[in-house]
Amino acid sequence: MAKKLSDETVTVLENKKINGKYYKLAFLSAALSKGVRPGQFLQVLINEGKDPYLRRPFSYYRVTGRRIEILYEVLGRGTAILSQKKKGDTLKVMGPLGNGFTVALGKKKRVLIAGGVGVPPLVFLAEKASVARLLIGTKSKLEVVPQRELKKVKTKVLYATEDGSCGFRGLVTALLEKVIMKEDPRELFLQTCGPRRMMEVVIALARKYGIEGEASWDETMACGVGACLGCMVKTKDGLRRACADGPVFRFEDLAL
Amino acid sequence: MKPDLTTTIKGLRLKNPVTVASGTFGTTDEYAGYVDPKKLGAIITKTITVKPREGNPMPRICETTAGMLNAIGLQNKGLEDFVEQKIPYFKKIGVPLIVSIAGESAGEFGKLAKTFDGLKSVVKALEVNLSCPNVEAGGVNFMKKQERILDAVKAVRDQTDLLTFAKLSPELGDVVEIAGKVLEQGMDGISLINTLRGMAVDIRTRSSRLAKDFGGLSGPAIKPVALRYVFQVKKAYNCPVIASGGITDANDALEFLIVGADLLAVGTANFVEPRATLDILKGIESFCVKEKITNLDRLRGSYRTADTGKGK
Repeated sequence: MAKKLSDETVTVLENKKINGKYYKLAFLSAALSKGVRPGQFLQVLINEGKDPYLRRPFSYYRVTGRRIEILYEVLGRGTAILSQKKKGDTLKVMGPLGNGFTVALGKKKRVLIAGGVGVPPLVFLAEKASVARLLIGTKSKLEVVPQRELKKVKTKVLYATEDGSCGFRGLVTALLEKVIMKEDPRELFLQTCGPRRMMEVVIALARKYGIEGEASWDETMACGVGACLGCMVKTKDGLRRACADGPVFRFEDLAL
Repeated sequence: MKPDLTTTIKGLRLKNPVTVASGTFGTTDEYAGYVDPKKLGAIITKTITVKPREGNPMPRICETTAGMLNAIGLQNKGLEDFVEQKIPYFKKIGVPLIVSIAGESAGEFGKLAKTFDGLKSVVKALEVNLSCPNVEAGGVNFMKKQERILDAVKAVRDQTDLLTFAKLSPELGDVVEIAGKVLEQGMDGISLINTLRGMAVDIRTRSSRLAKDFGGLSGPAIKPVALRYVFQVKKAYNCPVIASGGITDANDALEFLIVGADLLAVGTANFVEPRATLDILKGIESFCVKEKITNLDRLRGSYRTADTGKGK
């Protein structure tokens, strides 16, 4: 049986720049906020015209009652248009799409490794679940999410900046290895989302130390519902669709 | 009064002219949560090949101005899987099914046609994909040699009396001329147009934004080109035509109807608006009501040509 999914016109409540990198957009929707798991995403129609044409996928950043927030960077024409939306403007939004991260981990200690587009879903997860560590990698202090955005995160956030302007100097994966060394790897569970190269190193470290985990592995998407076969991911069971079978995959299932 | 949208193509009666372009409506029920497929006139499947195909590497998708490029490469699980796993689903939903087929040789086209000839309770027509831009054997480059197209359509015709539509693209050469030749070989109609090969370059890496140099361009960007070919082929042969190429809303669909399209295949628009087909259907109905058109055939092909038309 096909999943009943929602496609709604929503009204922008707020849309503002919160630091050197991210904008935060909020709207209300009962249907789109129901039963959402961190790691799931929305398909947003940025404009009603025919150019740009496709919807854009955004991870859920926060769901509070009916209020939904997304956190995004201006990376191209679509997000540039989105950043101009004002309170009261409308957007067409589909969701919740895809499969999210595992929330219940039993006795395992959850370590989250985020960078770039991976920060919003993992902050969301860190608000929903018990977390041992949330590691965020950025280029510099400018891109660090403001402290007021992290008030509900149930752990201390560790930063790695490439220029050393905040927290650990270097890549977040180097910071991760330091964290792993201090723990019993068998007790850890890693969950990661962010740049491809970062996730590859996280998975390599997990294999090296025998740690289980999950990665949100996305590819450029068109439809977001499993129809176009644009976003295939190589897994041990062959090609799977990032949008419909993922985007969250277990490390052991990915064929990298 | 509700207008009569019934569309009849050589004895095949469809409740309306709205369908989906091959490869844009999932493999089975991906859109069933948004669209009741029973409301569509027909469903055109993703292209089926004899053997399973993995398709091309990622990225396979890239957005361009008013459209997108794709280089999927006919990813599908092959004929056997389709017959065993997918046909029962389509049988259950009971929508007239048009199966898109592609072979790497005339023999494969024949085999596909023969198989679906045996499934007439579900399969009502074949769309013979002669113009995929993203594969080698059987793709648009391969088919540039016209005798290969003719061999393929002959092989199909020899194996089935199902309705057959040849899917063409201007990349094959002169579409109007090729359409005439495949109709002579016994094709019942033409499906126009497949995607047009295009490029997009990442200026930072100076390489393609796809894993291949080229991809097939679809979406509103190609609509005027598609409209022109539908018009020309319809005018030249008055044969059944499945129109596709950037149909996004009811106005687009009406333009294609006016130049004579029999079926309207909504493609990339499904990716943007899962309910695009039903919105278009509703829009066609309201237009007919407003214009007092009781039967769609009064509108279909009513285009007034620029050289003879009045008031143009």
